[in-house]
Amino acid sequence: MRMSPHTAGTTVAPETAAAHPATVRTRDWLIVAAAAIVALIALYAVFVDNGNLVSATGSYLHEFSHDGRHLFGAPCH
Amino acid sequence: MSVSAQPTPYPLLPMLGRGLAAGGIAGLASGLFALLLAEPLMDRAIRLEEKRAAAETAAHTHSGHSGHSHAAEAEELFSRSTQHLGLVVTAVVAGLAIGVFFTLAHALVHRSAPRDDGRGWQRAMGLAGAGFLALSLLPALRYPANPPGVGDGGTVTERQGLWVAALVIGVLGMVLAHQVHQRLGQAGHGLPVRQSGAAAAVVATLAALFLLPDNPDAVPVSATLLWDFRVLSLGGHLVLWAVLGAAFAAPALRGQQRPADGEKPVARQTAA
Repeated sequence: MRMSPHTAGTTVAPETAAAHPATVRTRDWLIVAAAAIVALIALYAVFVDNGNLVSATGSYLHEFSHDGRHLFGAPCH
Repeated sequence: MSVSAQPTPYPLLPMLGRGLAAGGIAGLASGLFALLLAEPLMDRAIRLEEKRAAAETAAHTHSGHSGHSHAAEAEELFSRSTQHLGLVVTAVVAGLAIGVFFTLAHALVHRSAPRDDGRGWQRAMGLAGAGFLALSLLPALRYPANPPGVGDGGTVTERQGLWVAALVIGVLGMVLAHQVHQRLGQAGHGLPVRQSGAAAAVVATLAALFLLPDNPDAVPVSATLLWDFRVLSLGGHLVLWAVLGAAFAAPALRGQQRPADGEKPVARQTAA
């Protein structure tokens, strides 16, 4: 377990701090990785999808985001 | 006693919240910019396209005209005003998604940086500039945005592949530029050498982008309309990245000494 800086009122030894100057909790990395996957799907949906993501949507996603695709430079038919 | 490095973990989740908020604001700003300035142009382009399509249909008298008429289809599904709304929604969704990747890149590049040195603004704006180069300017130089009326439905999959390839090359190029900058620094070189090296990496990236095949489609619109549209498109990109960087850095400006939101309050041991 990570030592909390205020444990027992002592300061973390400078060596400890220097040894882990860039710690990020693994759980946090996983959450951000999950968010990145969702973000990638969202970008695919608005900029690339032509009815493949959810077949029922047909061209709806494409046409709804039509102007955004043109403006942000995504290829449009 | 000298101040030691931050013993607390990098506050990745509060940063994610900040990245999402900044991304949403940036997307909204960019969407409104486009709504006000670029939509009149797009409406004009679509009217011209309809005129062209009508002339074409008149020329080809057969009724089974299978050429994918883009304007006609757009009209069937959504009104132009719905598509105007769609532009803003698209921009906000894109902004939120980019905010996630911005947070991730910020953590990867800057997690070791001291958090209270007052350079948060420089770091966020630098990263936003890199994002603009990687995902906006460099890909746009290879595959510039086209207004409605340009684009053949038959080549859309091919063009999407090229576009995604250009985005990937842009990002890899910026990673390369950053690595060159860092390694030259570790080797003891000064800023002139480091920045020249990074600039060379950017030029090499641009050269790599031009190894990709050309956009296969013809561009049957006037040069003035095309230029205006492309400038406004890049303007929309610029607004997105600038607002993203600024909004990401802004909370730290007013609370440099305050623990980040959501972070457990930490009793900092300073010399008592």
